Amino acid sequence: MFAARVGAGLLLSTMTAATGWTQETVPRIPRFVEETEAAGLQSRFEGAEEFIVGGGVAAFDCDADGLPEVYVTAGVNSAKFYRNRSSRGGAIKLDEQRSGLELTGAIGAYPIDVDGDDHADLVVMRVGEVQVFRGLGGCRFERANDMWKLQTGNGWHSAFAATWERGARWPTLAIGTYVDRARPEFPWGSCTAGMLIRPAAEGQAVGGQTFAPPMPLLPGHCALSMLFSDWNRSGEPALRVSNDREYYKGGQEQLWKLPPGQPPALYTEAQGWKPLQIWGMGIASHDLDGDGLPEVFLTSMSDNKLQQLQAGAAAPTYTDVAYKRGVTAHRPYAGGDVHPSTAWHAQFADVNHDGLADLFIVKGNISTMPDFAALDPNNLLLQQPDGRFVEAGQQAGIASVKRGRGGLLVDLNGDGLLDMLVVNRWDQAQLWRNIGAGTAERPLPMGHWLQLRLQQSGANRDAIGAWVEVDLGGRIVRQELTVGGGHASGHLGWMHFGLGQADVVKLRVQWPHAGWGGWQSLQANGFYIVDKDRGASAWNPR
Amino acid sequence: MSTLQRPRATLLGAGIAVWLALQPAGAAAQANPAAPDRATASSRADAYSAGVATEWFALALQLTQQTPGFSPPVAARALAYLGLALYESVVPGMPQHNSLAGQLNELSSLPWAQPDEVLHWPSVSNAALAAMTRMMFGNASAEQKARIDQLERSLPLKYGADFDPTTATREVAIRSENFGKLMAMALMTWARTDGGHEAWGPPRRTRQPYVPPSGPGQWSATPPDFAPALLPWWGENRLFALRRPADCPAPPPPPYSEDGASAFHQEAQEVHRISTQATQEQRQFALYWADDPGKTPTPAGHWAFIATDLLKGRRATLAAAAEAYALLNISMSDAFVVAWHTKYALNLLRPVTYVQRAIDSQWVPTLLNTPPFPEFPSAHSVQSSAAAVVLSRLFGAETAFVDNTHNDRGWGPRSFASFGAAADEAALSRLYAGIHFRTGVVSGKVQGQCVGRAVLALKVRR
Repeated sequence: MFAARVGAGLLLSTMTAATGWTQETVPRIPRFVEETEAAGLQSRFEGAEEFIVGGGVAAFDCDADGLPEVYVTAGVNSAKFYRNRSSRGGAIKLDEQRSGLELTGAIGAYPIDVDGDDHADLVVMRVGEVQVFRGLGGCRFERANDMWKLQTGNGWHSAFAATWERGARWPTLAIGTYVDRARPEFPWGSCTAGMLIRPAAEGQAVGGQTFAPPMPLLPGHCALSMLFSDWNRSGEPALRVSNDREYYKGGQEQLWKLPPGQPPALYTEAQGWKPLQIWGMGIASHDLDGDGLPEVFLTSMSDNKLQQLQAGAAAPTYTDVAYKRGVTAHRPYAGGDVHPSTAWHAQFADVNHDGLADLFIVKGNISTMPDFAALDPNNLLLQQPDGRFVEAGQQAGIASVKRGRGGLLVDLNGDGLLDMLVVNRWDQAQLWRNIGAGTAERPLPMGHWLQLRLQQSGANRDAIGAWVEVDLGGRIVRQELTVGGGHASGHLGWMHFGLGQADVVKLRVQWPHAGWGGWQSLQANGFYIVDKDRGASAWNPR
Repeated sequence: MSTLQRPRATLLGAGIAVWLALQPAGAAAQANPAAPDRATASSRADAYSAGVATEWFALALQLTQQTPGFSPPVAARALAYLGLALYESVVPGMPQHNSLAGQLNELSSLPWAQPDEVLHWPSVSNAALAAMTRMMFGNASAEQKARIDQLERSLPLKYGADFDPTTATREVAIRSENFGKLMAMALMTWARTDGGHEAWGPPRRTRQPYVPPSGPGQWSATPPDFAPALLPWWGENRLFALRRPADCPAPPPPPYSEDGASAFHQEAQEVHRISTQATQEQRQFALYWADDPGKTPTPAGHWAFIATDLLKGRRATLAAAAEAYALLNISMSDAFVVAWHTKYALNLLRPVTYVQRAIDSQWVPTLLNTPPFPEFPSAHSVQSSAAAVVLSRLFGAETAFVDNTHNDRGWGPRSFASFGAAADEAALSRLYAGIHFRTGVVSGKVQGQCVGRAVLALKVRR
């Protein structure tokens, strides 16, 4: 045991001599500095009734410089696209640019390479028809709905997820919808059906690959988040849907299985699924306990859940361990407001590089609901080695009390530290730069890190659905590469791993619908392209 | 979800719980040393008096009488949600009881109380009932809404022993109020989709105007007002405890006939005869149990009044009041839905229509106007019988009681030997009033008793 003063606080650490893996009994708190104005981020998510939900942001690299561009939805205002002009390791600089993505009615966005051309495409969730843009390279886009025969109708589209089913060249898309727009006078009980959109069968596609007509996901229960995840590691992802109890009649949380070539089917109570009703807003998924199976965090109005499989992969029977793990996040932790919290976007990521996934939650009142917190700071819950989480939002400097909705943790300036984006309703979107234990002038990571991009030839270029394991020298951390989840916000790009003090780690990948690749050793603090056939290779910025 | 996993009550355990629940406040915790170690007395709802609960129900009955649109089915529904809000908000402090989430239709789960946060159950229930009252009586007048605010603020002062500031510290009180409001909101999200929420609002666009079917024996609007059918879709509402109305059928009436020798005609003649030859006592019964909306707290409110008096008289605990109000009011709400479903399925004409057609063209009931909906079965009979079954289980089948519901109207107090006796009188009062056939009363009782038993089958106790 030794004591050391590092960064933000006095910390106790335990060194495991055999592995080099360092565990600190108290997580170190990274510092974030807000750079909204300096970065040039100027976007407001606004709108009345039809914009009570949503407010998403997307991050993806469309100019191959390794830095993600940012797309911010803005409700009744036009969404904005920002080229990322940040200097590597320096201040964040976003340059608003006309791109054709400037849609009104946009409430969420998820990047995905639909057609496998190595250019990120963008799916924009809207109050109105979902718009799909094909990336052309150089951050140019074209509308692709007609070309890909993707027609969603004029509903209220509030959630998105995608996966590649076994053998498919194109992804299967899931789109969640909210209440019936035609019944504003009595929206309760009017949740509309979601839709599952599979690729058109080979031979049915004329003039290139297209999508088949949407298949309804019935019953629809006002989905506010969807995520394809291989919950039982069967190799076949299932669709988790988090639904808003405010409007459904007899609804609940849902888990759809997708039998190959068959219509989707809900897991039932007979199969172990336990009905749960919450004001479901967002989904985050991560293997927290190291058993290879992901835990699921669900945001809600005060009664947030952290679900853990009760008896392993045998059945989708989850039990709530939010209290046990310290992630109930049910009330504001700072600011003096005593009312219950309203949680939206959620994301697991290691913000302090200690090898433990932390939990970021965006909070914000619906509008002016008097019985819920008006001053509801976003959460940054840092995981401790014992598996419990402790709140660090205020000390980290991210305790915004605007009406948060969507958000992302993503490395915007290529320094290995995860920065933070938050979209606020009726207010300006915000951006914080993670400076770790350093200063704004000299950021200092609090541990080692690794960033990876998977790639494979043919379909599903980004290997969505892959599982990546990193051996930190005695402890394995793992992530599933997904498209969906959170609240209306998606990221396509570098996978980020905190490594603690490990400077060399081993890595392997379970590729989608395939077996594990071999272990490879990688030096910490670098970017790597991990190709299914050629293995890992260092990536360096131009 | 954890509440769904609790073991079911054994018969012995349930019997002990019945006795404990009806002991004076504080006695249960002392008398049950083997109870789960949920912690100190203040962490249990049976350590507090029923004062908060009885005060809110007393106000709810006044609001029921004075708020537009609170016809008997609507009133029963509102009282059921109030009872459920009370129960679910304090059930985390009732270690021998289960949440009803997972047992009621389309209600799978409700927010949890955080295990590490002490809650003060009078504060929780005060906030939950205040919030639910505001939502259920959303069209109350400004004056009535002010009374809701005033009651919420005054209860901590009135019940100083329950709101001891050394246990109900500011932090605990705030946290408790938040939990109570959250519970009420979660229940309200469920309530809005039961089909009854928009009962007095503009009809949904998808709803066509109701046109009653026509034909021999079919209901038609009745004198003197010839009002349109009341709440024709109420029978489609989601039930609380019963799975479907067919689970509690009413034995059918005799086949419709205008033949003078038919059973149907005989029943109509009985109505006509009683109307002209009713004893003073029968007339009194008819008026006493009329429980007309706008003038009284309606039939469901009448039975809730009786329950409130009993809870107060026995110095019941908050936990006992929560259970009693929940089960009683759920049974009465389900009774109205089942009765309404049967009414509009059979659509049987009222005695006044038949008698004028086949017996006496000038006859009208002299004590009460005929309510504007089909005859079969008597909803009073269904609802009263359901209530009596539930109260008999909670307080004892042979419990004699004094009914003070109508004292301020000069009609009481009245004493009854049992809940069953009161329910029988309430049922027959509709025959005496000339607005129901005997079979509507008798079958209504059968249906209501079935509803009561179905509600009692809920796994309330562990």
